Amino acid sequence: MTTATRPRVPIKPGYFTIPDDPGLPPKLLGTKCQDCGEHYFPRRAICARPECLSEKTSDVELGPRGTLYSYTFVHLPLFGSSNLEHAEGYGVGQVDLPEGPRVQLPLAGKQGEFRIGQTLEAELNTLREDGGSDIVIVRFRPVEAGR
Amino acid sequence: MRDVAVLGVGMYRFGMYYDVSNATMAREAGMAALRDAGLSFRDVNAAYVGHIFAQVMSGVRVMKEFGLTGIPVQRIENASATGSAAFREACLQVAAGHADVVMVLGFDKMTTMIQQSTQGTAPENMEDAILPAGFFALWATRRMHERGMKAEHLAKIAAKNFNNGALNPMAQRQADTFITPEKVLGARMVAWPLTTMMSCPMGDGAACAIVGRADLAKKLRPDRPVVRVTASDLQSEKYARGHLFMGPVVGPAQMTIDTSKNVYEEAGVGPSDLDLVQVHDAFAIEELEYYELLGLCKVGEAEKCIEQGDFERDGRVAVSTDGGLIARGHPGGPTGLAQIWETTLQLRGEAGKRQVENARIGLCHMMGGGSVCVIHILQRD
Ligand SMILES: [Zn+2]
Repeated sequence: MTTATRPRVPIKPGYFTIPDDPGLPPKLLGTKCQDCGEHYFPRRAICARPECLSEKTSDVELGPRGTLYSYTFVHLPLFGSSNLEHAEGYGVGQVDLPEGPRVQLPLAGKQGEFRIGQTLEAELNTLREDGGSDIVIVRFRPVEAGR
Repeated sequence: MRDVAVLGVGMYRFGMYYDVSNATMAREAGMAALRDAGLSFRDVNAAYVGHIFAQVMSGVRVMKEFGLTGIPVQRIENASATGSAAFREACLQVAAGHADVVMVLGFDKMTTMIQQSTQGTAPENMEDAILPAGFFALWATRRMHERGMKAEHLAKIAAKNFNNGALNPMAQRQADTFITPEKVLGARMVAWPLTTMMSCPMGDGAACAIVGRADLAKKLRPDRPVVRVTASDLQSEKYARGHLFMGPVVGPAQMTIDTSKNVYEEAGVGPSDLDLVQVHDAFAIEELEYYELLGLCKVGEAEKCIEQGDFERDGRVAVSTDGGLIARGHPGGPTGLAQIWETTLQLRGEAGKRQVENARIGLCHMMGGGSVCVIHILQRD
């Protein structure tokens, strides 16, 4: 993890935190239903479970670790493989968070480094510069043994 | 569905047409369907237009091509299931007794999108970070993990669809040689394990169906069998554990199971009665999953059935007989209506070299953005 020299700005506000300490992982911003206890990402105002539909929801932070449910490597240049990873395609995955939600986000690492069921941790990835700021998105990277 | 029949079908061949407008494609598909039905636009009581990448009033605009007769015109949009959803509304109109003859017209031009696309180098939103091919590839990877599926199974499906498409003059991708699974596996990778040949192409096209009272079908064309729409259902996604809320979702499995259960009940048939099936095979992994979700085979047995050739044209139940989205093409709005075109021709025995022998019952299945499922059952009298 390198030290951020420029301010980091989320690609879209309200989806994840940007810790002051650049060494710390971001957390996803989700919702908890106060009636049935279900968690959601991204945030929502009304519980989606058909048997609940409660409006009593509150903001929570989710993650930053989760379990890999599925993954792939996308080889199309659209949206910029260079921004998201390397020339061998960029990884995207579905990650089950311990609170319940499954999220679908870019992955950090090469294809051979992933296996379903492994633990991943969220990190911020700079997509591009904008003025003096870094525009960042969340991606997940495998947690190495002993880390 | 009470006494609703497909009176006529028409298509403008799916392909890449930089110089042909939506209006031209739509008009030609619509006129072909009217001629096929033995009707004139004067006989049409209502129209539903299926068009995804739409301008304001694009439904009414395209109907002006046919004449100004004052009929009600409405545009329906439900992503890939747009044409199927429009077809359903037309059938409901007829079943409700509001109209005797309804035109359903789908058209789209993805070449325009390509021209307008800025080919951005970074996502603008969190939702933009993953491409559709990626969503479906995630489904494939999970299936490999859970069921031991191999890329070869997907390649076999795609090869079947290419070879079916080669017999369909309306198909966008026309292979000039027999396509083998090895060739499909060797194509360029889109999103592992999906190659370009396991994925539907970009394209343009139009398709039209005229639906109406079943007794009219007999009167208009006594020379051929009546093709009835015996069931129609549309469902949207229902919450289940593991549901994805950010960006488009990939086919919540229960949605196809529930929708198919409803149509089987409405038509009074089961999956084993089907002679041919068209599915949303934008990516080969989808077709494999829908074999199970539509009940064409038992859960966990799709791979074995593919190896046995169960879904080939001469197999147990023929799937994607016109080439499917992979070979016939998937311009968007017209795709669901191309399925109706194919099934209608098959049930009339007019499908030429790709005819499924003695086809009596066909099912058409489309997904819209992973969040909507539309299924119809068509039956020959
Ligand atoms: Zn709730």
